[in-house]
Amino acid sequence: MAAEDPQPLLRFTGHRHLTTRLLLSTLTGRPIRISQIRSTSPTTPGLTPHEVSFLRLLDAVTNGTQIEFSMTGTTLVYRPGLITGSAEGLGAQGGVLRHEITRECAGRGVSWWIIPLCILAPFSKGSVNVTFWGEGCITSSTPAGDMSIDSVRTAILPLYKGFGIERNIEVRVLKRGCVPRSGVAAGGEVQVVFGHQVRVPKTLHLLNPGRVKKVRGVAYAVGVSGANNARAIESARGVLNKFVPDTYIFSDVSAAPQVESKEKGNPGGKKKGAVGFGVSLVAESSTGCLYSADVASPPTGGVTPEDVGKQAAYQLLETIEQGGCVEKSAAETVLCLMAMGSEDVGRVALGKDVIGDEDMVQLGRDLREFGGAGWGLRDKGEESEELVVSVVGRGVGNVGRKMA
Amino acid sequence: AMEIHGQKRPYRTTDLARMMYNLTMTPAEVVKKWRGEEDDDEEGDEADDDFFNKSKAQDPANLEDRHIPIFDYAALEAKWEDEEAIESLKSRFATGHMAGKGGD
Repeated sequence: MAAEDPQPLLRFTGHRHLTTRLLLSTLTGRPIRISQIRSTSPTTPGLTPHEVSFLRLLDAVTNGTQIEFSMTGTTLVYRPGLITGSAEGLGAQGGVLRHEITRECAGRGVSWWIIPLCILAPFSKGSVNVTFWGEGCITSSTPAGDMSIDSVRTAILPLYKGFGIERNIEVRVLKRGCVPRSGVAAGGEVQVVFGHQVRVPKTLHLLNPGRVKKVRGVAYAVGVSGANNARAIESARGVLNKFVPDTYIFSDVSAAPQVESKEKGNPGGKKKGAVGFGVSLVAESSTGCLYSADVASPPTGGVTPEDVGKQAAYQLLETIEQGGCVEKSAAETVLCLMAMGSEDVGRVALGKDVIGDEDMVQLGRDLREFGGAGWGLRDKGEESEELVVSVVGRGVGNVGRKMA
Repeated sequence: AMEIHGQKRPYRTTDLARMMYNLTMTPAEVVKKWRGEEDDDEEGDEADDDFFNKSKAQDPANLEDRHIPIFDYAALEAKWEDEEAIESLKSRFATGHMAGKGGD
C-alpha cells in the first residue's frame, strides 16, 4: 500500500499550473511538493484564497489526503488520498457536497474549480455530486480568463463521451452570478453531478476535425434587462451568419442573486448580488468537435451588449481558425484523460497554435514527470496546419478503486 | 539546446518534439522559439540572466493560468471584416466551399 512505502516527493516550483499538478498528483497517487509559490510577490506571497479553496475541495472529495503549508504559504506538500467522491460522512450531506466559495475567491470563475473536478470525477470511487455556492461563486466568464458555466456544460462535458464516460453527467446552474465589483457578492450556485465512474477511459482517436455545421450559444443577463441579450445575440449573429446559417443563441434572463447582507443592524437581510450579462458560444463540427467562446461584461461596466456579442463571435472564429479537433481551453481535459487511459496509444489532432502554447508544453512535461510517457508529435499531413499528438495511456486509471 | 539554434523555419513539428522535453528551456522559450519569434542576438550568454530574472520580468497579465487567452478585439474585428480571411475560413464550415481542402 502507498502508506507503507512512502514515494519520493515530486518537486515543482511556481504557482502556475497548480490545479493541474494537484490533479495529476491525486490521479496518480504521487505526493508532490510545490515551492516558491509567488515567493517573489511583495504584496501577495503564497497561495491565494481560491487556491486554498481548491485544496479544500480536493480534501473533501478524497479520503486520507494530507496537505501541509509552510508558514508563508509559499511551499505546499500534498499527499493525495483515495478519491472517494461525495461520500457520506466525509463532508457530504444527503449525497451532496456543498463547497462554499467565499468572497475572497471571487478572482476566478467557478469553472476554475469545476473543470479540474470533472477530470478527477471519473476515477472516483463513488459518484461526485458537488454544489458550489457562496459569495465568490461566479458562473459567467471572468476577466481572469475562466470560461462561463454554460461553456463548461456545452463544450467540456460532451468531450467525456469520447472516453466512454457519458451517463449521469450534468452541470446545473441553480443561480447565476456575474463578476462582482468590490463590495458586492457574486452569489451564484452550480451543481455538478458526475455519476459515471470508469476503470479506465476508452482510448481516444480524434483525427478529423470535420466542418463546423452549427453554432449554439447562451446569452445570459443577470439582474439587468433581457434586452441586453437580444442585442448581444443580434450582433453575434451578424458576424456568424456569413459562416453558419444554423446559429441559434438561447436567451436566459434571471434576477440578481440575493445574498445575505451580513449587516449589523439587519440580521438575515438580503442584498442584491452582482449584475451583468454575457454570451457563451459553442460551434459544433460534423465530427462532433467543439469550439467555444466566452465574453462577459466587465464588472466595471461600460461595454455595450453589441460589443460583447461581436467579441464573442470573433473569438469563436479565431478558435475555429486555430483548428484541430480540440480547442485550447479543452485540451487539458482531453490530454489528461488520454494519459490516464488504458495502455494503448490515443491520438488527437491539434492546431499548431493550440499545442504551441506554454501551458500545453508544461502540461506535457508535467505528465511525463508524473510517470507518463512523453507525447509523440507528428505532422498530420503535408501542408496541414495540424499535428497529431499521440499519448500512451498509463493504464492506471482508477487509483482509488484499485486500492480500496 | 545549442543544435536547435540554427533553425529557420517556424512551426516544424520535429523541432517541437525535440524541445518539448528539453528541461533546460522554459515552456515560454520553447513556444517562442518554435514560432520563430525570438530575436537571436540576445540569446546565448543572456540565457542565464533570464533564468534568474524571469519572475520579475513576467508580464503581469501572464501571471495566472487562463483558459481563455487575451484577445485584441479591435485587431480581431479588422481581421474578420476582411474578405480574404472570411473566404479562407469558409472551408472549415459545412456550408463553405465544398471544393476546399479537407472534405467531409
